[in-house]
Amino acid sequence: MKFNDLFAGLVFLGLAALVATASWHLPNPSQQPLGPSAFPLILSGLLALCAVILGVNGARAVDRGPMLALAGWARSPAALLKLALVPGAVLFYLWFPEALGFLITAPLILVVLFMAGGVRPGLAVPLSLLVALAMHSIFYLGLGVQLPWGPLEPIRW
Amino acid sequence: MLDAYVTALGMVLDPYVLAVITASAIYGLVVGCIPGLSATMATALLVPLTFFMPPVPAIAAIVTTSTMAIFSGDIPGCLLRIPGTPASAAYVDDSYQMTLRGEPELALGIGLWFSVLGGLFGTAVMMAASPAIADFALGFGSVEFFWIVMLGLGGAVFIGSSTPLKACIALLIGLMISLVGMNNPAGQPRFTFDSTEMLGGVSLIPMMVGMFACSEVMRHMIADGSAPQIVIKKMGPIFANMWRLTKQYPWQLIRGSALGTVVGIQPGSGADMAAWMSYAMSKRFSKTPEKFGTGHPEGLIEAGASNNSSLAGAWIPALVFGIPGDSITAIAIGVLMMKNMAPGPTIFVNNPENVYALFLVFVIANLLMLPLGWAIIKVASRVLQVPRKILMPIILLFAIVGSYAINNSLFDVGLMLAFGALAFVLEENGFPVAPVILGVVLGPLLEEYFINSMIKSDGSLIGLVNRPIAAVLAAVTVGIIAWTIVASLRAPKHPARPMPQDL
Repeated sequence: MKFNDLFAGLVFLGLAALVATASWHLPNPSQQPLGPSAFPLILSGLLALCAVILGVNGARAVDRGPMLALAGWARSPAALLKLALVPGAVLFYLWFPEALGFLITAPLILVVLFMAGGVRPGLAVPLSLLVALAMHSIFYLGLGVQLPWGPLEPIRW
Repeated sequence: MLDAYVTALGMVLDPYVLAVITASAIYGLVVGCIPGLSATMATALLVPLTFFMPPVPAIAAIVTTSTMAIFSGDIPGCLLRIPGTPASAAYVDDSYQMTLRGEPELALGIGLWFSVLGGLFGTAVMMAASPAIADFALGFGSVEFFWIVMLGLGGAVFIGSSTPLKACIALLIGLMISLVGMNNPAGQPRFTFDSTEMLGGVSLIPMMVGMFACSEVMRHMIADGSAPQIVIKKMGPIFANMWRLTKQYPWQLIRGSALGTVVGIQPGSGADMAAWMSYAMSKRFSKTPEKFGTGHPEGLIEAGASNNSSLAGAWIPALVFGIPGDSITAIAIGVLMMKNMAPGPTIFVNNPENVYALFLVFVIANLLMLPLGWAIIKVASRVLQVPRKILMPIILLFAIVGSYAINNSLFDVGLMLAFGALAFVLEENGFPVAPVILGVVLGPLLEEYFINSMIKSDGSLIGLVNRPIAAVLAAVTVGIIAWTIVASLRAPKHPARPMPQDL
């Protein structure tokens, strides 16, 4: 998914405007010559300048193409689905670890991702369990990170 | 100084530290050997583990991993014509031609032997130069440090990138991310969206893991996953011709090591640029330039020594000024800060043992590269056959758990995903990612030095240039920016020159 430079310039110009607006009224409790808004305002000014140059270059470019061009993968539903699995896996980990525990959440994520990549279920399932156990050993047993147990609480080790 | 070195040696020879060095060496060699997994990614993924280590083993892990990964990037380049890291791309044609000729052991032997020599050269320069530069820098004030940070950022954006405007925008995004939280001279919450998690600023580790690892997993998901074909299965003796080549090409070894170290010191130009420049220089001064690209050892020797020597060179500005020389040292600076070893000239006064321990780790890592590098070359054909469809999901899970582990916070996992997505979109559109990291690492320092300088001069900009060293640094910084702008205006209108983007 590629934006042309004119579009990217407009996006960054908008970002610069947002940052400048948000920092304009920051309080300056110590009444120093430059308060906490000074640096953000300088940065947003520089970003606006770069965004304008980028946008103008993009508008002048002979081969600038459409505002938004879809790459080959972005036209393939299969590739899009595989790409969506990455944020999907992270969000699944965000929402379910307390309810399911690490030792159920992690293998589920791995099995789905392995099989999406074409790994046979006969290999994906045991490999997922092994990797999850190894990672649990490193972080929970080795480093003392509090990974949740969920329904496996009774067999906590 | 000698006492500090003795103490440092004791710290490094601790069995726990040696075990960390050995494990990191094996990890770095394996990850660097797998195409698509860069030295930077290997280092970023390691950071969550270093969080749980004392300072010396933590830094030892970073140094050893990066040193090994830069060398082992030569292996897939030689066997598959796919450089494992961008730093190996410069001489991939020569090494692959040697493999096709039936001499992979010669190409990989050159990569290993001259990487070790180059790495030791860079380490020697770092050990000799850093304390002296730090001593000189002890007299610097906030104005000089402001310009040094500006020089570092300017170098990264205007020298180390083929698209300076996009790199500049990436840097500004990083600087804006660094605004989040209360870490500013006024101690005011900024851009926190009333979130208590954001009061401390954006957590550096989840951000780096997201940008270097999560985004790579996303790219893997949309890529065609065809398995690369390996040309050979067995290796002959690896060190057989190395002494002969050392005597035959001593000047190339010294020139490559020296240029690599200098390029490494220069902020913004890492191991990949060192390799490209050294290869070009080798060809330029060679008596047989027509042989380059056909399996000739000369360029391999010079560029192979160069990319490893640049690693140590990049640590000089990182240690003395807190300015990362490349993306790996940007990560390392984050680790140093995490361990209360804020880089800067005073680190040589406050923590000399830890700094000398770091120097010794460089020596050990380079020496350890000989036996372990030999071993990885012997089993390389098997390592290269590990499918990415198995590695990438494991990397994603590691990134998730690693991000969570730092603060036991799911918020950081969300942060990792957000920055992974940001890096994916930026790279899809030709914006380099490393300047974002530089911006986040250096943003608070830049603001602090700028505001302090302005307060000292009562808000007058003249205060930024009215001291001699500050004026020189300002002139150099402005010169670099002006030179890049003029060069880009005078350049013919054709597609940007190919240039490695690993920073």
